[in-house]
Amino acid sequence: MRRESFRKAGFLLSMFWLLLCIFPLWWVLVTAFKPPLAVSGGATYLPFWDFQPSLHAFRDAFSGIRGDFWGPISSSIFISIVSTGLAVLLGSMAAYALIRFKFSIHLLAGLLFAVLAIGGFVVMTEMWNIRVPYALLVVLFVALPVSVWANGRNLPGPVLGNDDVTFWFVSQRMFPPIVSAFALFLLYAETGKAGFRLLDTFGGMVLAYTAFGLPFAVWLMRDFFESVPVEVEEAAMVDDIGRMRIFAQIVLPMSLPGLIATSMVVLAFIWNEFLFALLLTSSRWQTLPILLAGQNSSRGDEWWAISVATLISIIPMILVATFLGRMMRSGMLSGSIK
Amino acid sequence: MNDRVKHIFIWPAFLLVLVITLFPLIYALTVSFQTVRIVPPTPARFVGFDNYADILANARFWGAIATTATIVIISVLAQYAIGLSVALALHHNVPGASLFRVTFLLPMFLAPVCVALIAKMIFHPVLGPANEFFSMFGLENLPFLTDPNFAIAVLIAIETWQWTPFVVLLMLAGLQNLPAEVFEAARVDNISAWRRFRDITFPMLLPLSAAVIFIRLIEGFKIIDTVFILTGGGPGTSTETLTLFAYNEGFKKFNIGMTSALSFLFLIVVIVFGTLYLAGARKLTQRYAQ
Amino acid sequence: MKNLLLSVAVLPLATIVHAECLPDYTGVTLTISTQNGPYVASALQTAAESWEAKTCGEVNLVEFPFGELYPKFLTGMSQQTGDFDVIGFIPAWVPDFAPYLSTMPAEMQQGEAWDDIHPVYRERLMSWGGEIKSATMDGDMHMLNFRSDLFEDEANKTAFMEQYGYDLAAPITWDQYYDIAEFFNESDAVNYGTAEAYARGGQQFWYFFSHAASYTNNPSNPGSMFFDPETMDAQINNEGWLRALEEYKRGLDFGPPGSLNNGSGDVRPLYAGGSVAMNLDWADSGILGATEGSIAGSVRTAMLPGSTQIWNHVTGEWDMFDEPVASPFLAFGGWQLAVPIDSKNQEAAWSYVAELTSPELSGAAIVTANTGVNPYRLSHYDNIENWLSIFTEEEARSYLSAQRASLDAPNVALDLRLPGFFSYTEILEIELSKALAGQVEPQEALNTIAAEWDELTDEFGRDSQLAAYRASMGLPPLN
Repeated sequence: MRRESFRKAGFLLSMFWLLLCIFPLWWVLVTAFKPPLAVSGGATYLPFWDFQPSLHAFRDAFSGIRGDFWGPISSSIFISIVSTGLAVLLGSMAAYALIRFKFSIHLLAGLLFAVLAIGGFVVMTEMWNIRVPYALLVVLFVALPVSVWANGRNLPGPVLGNDDVTFWFVSQRMFPPIVSAFALFLLYAETGKAGFRLLDTFGGMVLAYTAFGLPFAVWLMRDFFESVPVEVEEAAMVDDIGRMRIFAQIVLPMSLPGLIATSMVVLAFIWNEFLFALLLTSSRWQTLPILLAGQNSSRGDEWWAISVATLISIIPMILVATFLGRMMRSGMLSGSIK
Repeated sequence: MNDRVKHIFIWPAFLLVLVITLFPLIYALTVSFQTVRIVPPTPARFVGFDNYADILANARFWGAIATTATIVIISVLAQYAIGLSVALALHHNVPGASLFRVTFLLPMFLAPVCVALIAKMIFHPVLGPANEFFSMFGLENLPFLTDPNFAIAVLIAIETWQWTPFVVLLMLAGLQNLPAEVFEAARVDNISAWRRFRDITFPMLLPLSAAVIFIRLIEGFKIIDTVFILTGGGPGTSTETLTLFAYNEGFKKFNIGMTSALSFLFLIVVIVFGTLYLAGARKLTQRYAQ
Repeated sequence: MKNLLLSVAVLPLATIVHAECLPDYTGVTLTISTQNGPYVASALQTAAESWEAKTCGEVNLVEFPFGELYPKFLTGMSQQTGDFDVIGFIPAWVPDFAPYLSTMPAEMQQGEAWDDIHPVYRERLMSWGGEIKSATMDGDMHMLNFRSDLFEDEANKTAFMEQYGYDLAAPITWDQYYDIAEFFNESDAVNYGTAEAYARGGQQFWYFFSHAASYTNNPSNPGSMFFDPETMDAQINNEGWLRALEEYKRGLDFGPPGSLNNGSGDVRPLYAGGSVAMNLDWADSGILGATEGSIAGSVRTAMLPGSTQIWNHVTGEWDMFDEPVASPFLAFGGWQLAVPIDSKNQEAAWSYVAELTSPELSGAAIVTANTGVNPYRLSHYDNIENWLSIFTEEEARSYLSAQRASLDAPNVALDLRLPGFFSYTEILEIELSKALAGQVEPQEALNTIAAEWDELTDEFGRDSQLAAYRASMGLPPLN
């Protein structure tokens, strides 16, 4: 008996939550078709019942009268797809390495790197007045090899293993984006002054977004790879096939569902990303979220125009969510949840 | 296990993160100890910890922390409460679960900017459906976005709407992974559903719950998109979150040194917060997990 | 043979086609940028099409939210990226942008088109540091818009006379303005009395300035509205400003609910849609009302109300006048176009600017709704025929004479233009929205603003700020 009433309560709750989830989406869908009067007269809900739907908002948007729609859309598409591809590729490689190989990093070596990097940078920029991007490059090519060499030696102190490296990757997500975005803006600006332009460029955005998506990719792919049986790889290794080939031709195809799921998640986050785009783009590579923010400030009551723009951003994501939902149902993702 | 090839696998990702995420921080750190203004153009001057001191003395900074913390804490609690309930409901195989599953995922995948725009329409004090809804109870033309308390409530509601699905997703998976034997035993002993939840299910879910809440808290602290669109931080600065504050300093006033210092202080706030939470959560989990 | 003949025949045609490009900018792509449309952006788009047809060049229009214009432009120009060839921005930012802007070519600074620009715009707003750095594409001032169908209705007139004791007409003092707003608010005739903008980020502080000009722009102390012209001390917390703030706040009682969240883009449809009897706005309300609104035929425009009392900051007392003194406020100043120094197509860019600001194109823009372009050329005001396409003759006369009178008024008040404009106005916006929401008392808010403004001035350098302020107010340098 108790169970029945709980099930009923659960059902009601789910229905309520379902309605709550759907209503805003219904609202934006319907509003895109509203003529001006259907907005200024008060809230209307049902096409053909409350108001006569019209396509004028869509026509205005796509004809470019109200500003450039296609530019930000294509920018978003290109940048998102390329960044996602790179992030998932590099992330999978890193995840695979963390599963199959052993890493050991002496804490002291890491500290040595930090000290050399920061100290060297400060010395170079403050005292020797070297330009920032060059200083960073020098630091990279000096401090890194030195620390790696130091790591090879038998240093005292704690040793960090695979899990710590994973944690390092994943903890990048904990950074407030404004910290990295603003710092990146400064760096790009300096690099631009040194002659190599990164602000408002395709390359600059892809670099930033790939780094942004890597933590997800590493985190998610690690779990998917764990479910790939080692025996298959070991068999291949006996046959003396190179590690890279094993990875590319055996492991990746076997974890295709995982790859797809990860790609979709990463794609979603990059497609919807706002802050980096706000700071790092200007006239040429404005992405969709920025366009949407712009709709807000000047449209006032033109809800139909806002809704059309919003729909364009939402629809790809609805497809992603539906796809992922189906995959979830077939239980493919339960491993990664852990 | 120790092939040289492992380096080829990991170094690209490692380098990218290093160069793009960490190295700029070094530069930003040095800038935070200087005053740099683009407008009016003044040459950079080294000022030590002045920027940091100025920010710590600035009431607007503490206000931003308070605002952000309020929004995050309340909305995460709501997300957890609702999310767990919905997850429980779905777990017990209510009809239509597969439909729910897809729809519940949706809010998570929408750009916060989009959600904010939709919310701005819905919560319009005169023309929006929210107004119609509340008018049915005699509360007309509520100042949803112009009164500080209402605005914060709206922001909390939006955060909850968007991220509860995340909680549902994870808690549901957690529920599905609970060992069945324990529940079998409970059924045999004829324990009531509520007690079963309180004494068995909930404690077993505690580690996962703590992790989920932690993730949501950390993510929530970054909130900017929704506030940017809905209120711009107003009225006054009452809905200004930390990220928005930093953005305004840096890009409206081009006070670069101050903004860098602010970013780092923000980072410290998050680290402090996270550490306190983790310590508390660990204690709680240990106490419950017998 | 036939092919040879054909190509020989086609060749002159080809040259004819190319001869149409005058001057020839084939292969040149200009990147022009301004705020999200339709205001201003649509005017830029129309001019782009016209320019492209004339010169065979290409134009690429990029839009940003208004709040992003300043950061994006300044970042681009200070980084010397060459991103923008033409920027559409507001005069308040000229002091910050000026070092990065190129000077208008000498040919453009003479001739009929040049002389056609009203002197106030030509001499005060387009120049900085003695050079012409930008071109006005729009004339801006705040006006009082009202509806003749309400004001000339006999029943209303009788009722008003009974209640207030004077004739119902366009208010010439702010007291009259509030009487009328009160009269019409929630009456049978119309929903609400008046509409003004109050939202942060919705250009609201210009509405506040419009009120303040009447009480602080003292003819005996020119340029003393915002700062003391001798010391650069902030004047914004003096009694004139206090009265302005209290009155500005009063408008909330006579407007629609949610007014606190109204920006300038919201007060326009309220007037044009017939919900309010009056509003304060730029001239866009009038155009909107006549073209897209439901009040066509009843659009009337008047100068901003004035006052018989103006604060004198030197004596510390109110100066009394027998007749109300009008201090029309040139809010915003009017969108400007400029060509950054790092642009790679400066010549083509200025040619585009000339096209957009030409009497023909600007004449068409001012009578098109949603362009955001308001009159600034003498020909704009004189050519009534042009206006009859959207206004009735009465509407046109009222619309134009009000604007002309504002420009020609002896006590016209200029807008604030200072380096670091954003920093000053950010403080203003924050405290202002607190005061409007009732979180702080008006005097307290003004004191806070004044204190922070003084701090800012010191930080930026008091002497240089003072020099810039005096220049922007048309005062000669000190000593």
